[in-house]
Amino acid sequence: MTEARNIEVKWPKNVNEVPKEIFVREDLFEIEQEKIFRGPEWHPVAHTGELPNKGDFKTFDLGKVPLLITHGQDGEYRVFYNACSHRSNQLETASSGNKTEFECPYHRWLFNPEGELIGCPNSKEFSPGFKREDYPLGKPRTELSYGLIFVTMSEETPPLEEWIGDVMPTFKQAMGEDGDLRLLGYQKVSYKSNWKGYNDNDGYHAPLLHTAFTLLNWQGGQGHQYMDKTRGHLGFEADLKPVPKSEMIKDHSLVEYIGDEANMGSRLIQFFPTMVITRHLNIFNIRFAIARGPVDTEVHYAYFCHNSDDEEMVKHRIRQASNLLGPCGMISMEDAAVFHRIHIGSNTPGNAIFQKGVTSFDELPTDVKQNDESGNLPRWEYYRQVMGFERAEV
Amino acid sequence: MSGVSVDLIAQVDALQAQYIRALDNRDFQGWVDTFDTAEDTAYFCTPAENVDNNLEIALMYDDCRKRIEDRVTFITDIWAGTFQDYRTRHFIQRTHCEQKQEGLYLVETNFSIIYTPESGRSDVQVAGVYKDEVLINGGGAKFKSKKAIYDTTVLPRYIVYPF
Repeated sequence: MTEARNIEVKWPKNVNEVPKEIFVREDLFEIEQEKIFRGPEWHPVAHTGELPNKGDFKTFDLGKVPLLITHGQDGEYRVFYNACSHRSNQLETASSGNKTEFECPYHRWLFNPEGELIGCPNSKEFSPGFKREDYPLGKPRTELSYGLIFVTMSEETPPLEEWIGDVMPTFKQAMGEDGDLRLLGYQKVSYKSNWKGYNDNDGYHAPLLHTAFTLLNWQGGQGHQYMDKTRGHLGFEADLKPVPKSEMIKDHSLVEYIGDEANMGSRLIQFFPTMVITRHLNIFNIRFAIARGPVDTEVHYAYFCHNSDDEEMVKHRIRQASNLLGPCGMISMEDAAVFHRIHIGSNTPGNAIFQKGVTSFDELPTDVKQNDESGNLPRWEYYRQVMGFERAEV
Repeated sequence: MSGVSVDLIAQVDALQAQYIRALDNRDFQGWVDTFDTAEDTAYFCTPAENVDNNLEIALMYDDCRKRIEDRVTFITDIWAGTFQDYRTRHFIQRTHCEQKQEGLYLVETNFSIIYTPESGRSDVQVAGVYKDEVLINGGGAKFKSKKAIYDTTVLPRYIVYPF
């Protein structure tokens, strides 16, 4: 830990204010990598539905740390550092694929998907007492929940179930109750936004931004937000009323819900620090975000179907997901624009001041209504504490 | 170009030019007009990574004429006033053209798009290949389907305009 680095941030007294400088100060980024991305948090890196077959793999980065996620021949899912256990040459370059072994080209060390070193030429000339079994691929701690694969690089991170905490019921529903999902594809994009600006504004926010809702005369049903007490993870649940047919769009299937109306509601999860998961209409969307730099947040929008879907349902999900919730989606393109614009605007002095739903300047909100923006405040308080920033007394 | 006549090639090229000119001029009705009027006329804009892995999710999945027309509504009505605008310049190079059946041609064309944000520097937005089905009859050439398959694994920003 680098407590001694003297990072000072003037955090305002009121709980509904966030200093804009934290979005744009580049010196905070490395500290955040250490305290948050390599700190005591779980980070989702893949869903088992992306690796359905034995031998399937995916690469992903936790901040700057390259990871290799495998589906072993024994059926287990594992996450390794994507670096040879010899001299740390990047082991796999593809973003996904299927392999029975991974070979480092530098000195031809060979690993199986279970991470064991199964071959290394000329090992008789290696250091005294060299044993292959001492050189498996390194790995971070890994746990799964509803098929979502999480890693942490800290020994202090609590067990995953405890870390997910109060939002577990909504998380379960967002993952289709059992997590038995299958990948339909990705939309990958880089935002010129700090990761905090991305997370603060993705996921749930007031619908005023979205002209589509007004133009379509689409009234959301009753809903509520609630937050995990420790980290401020946010869960959002709402009934959803069917979208009325409109002259505005000619192909109504884009916003049509197929299925049992009892299961029609929206579910949304925002995990600290960067993950957003949403189940909306017939879309399962997991947004894997990578904090690449102070002004570089890469988001992999991964879309899923349920393994029990018939062909027609899969097709409907593909048609709806592609055009609705991504970086070019009818609803979400506007969100993406806000990530960029918030970042630019945050270079001005002062604080970002939250308003809707704020009932106290001293205490964090516990009762947050559907369209309130105060649901983000517990996550900000957690961030402040993790970073060790003092709140001003006046 | 496997036996396709110079005259037909010229019609294909004219259609592609009409397509990129409409987009670069932000003439979205002109863009729609490059597509055939049949119900099942299609436009897809898909990352190559998904195509390579047989994953069907696209960035733009307009598998019918109605969706192509709806895309114009997104741009001109629904998103108006929310996004940071940018100009585009498409650069294209036809690499293949063959006849599939009478009046229907398969055409492959490399494309790249340079984009220039309002008050910003020009940069490469995306590179890829168009895989098109072009209908040619007495009335001229139209797209029966157009697939913009882009190589750019991670797009450099959110996207407003079709590729």
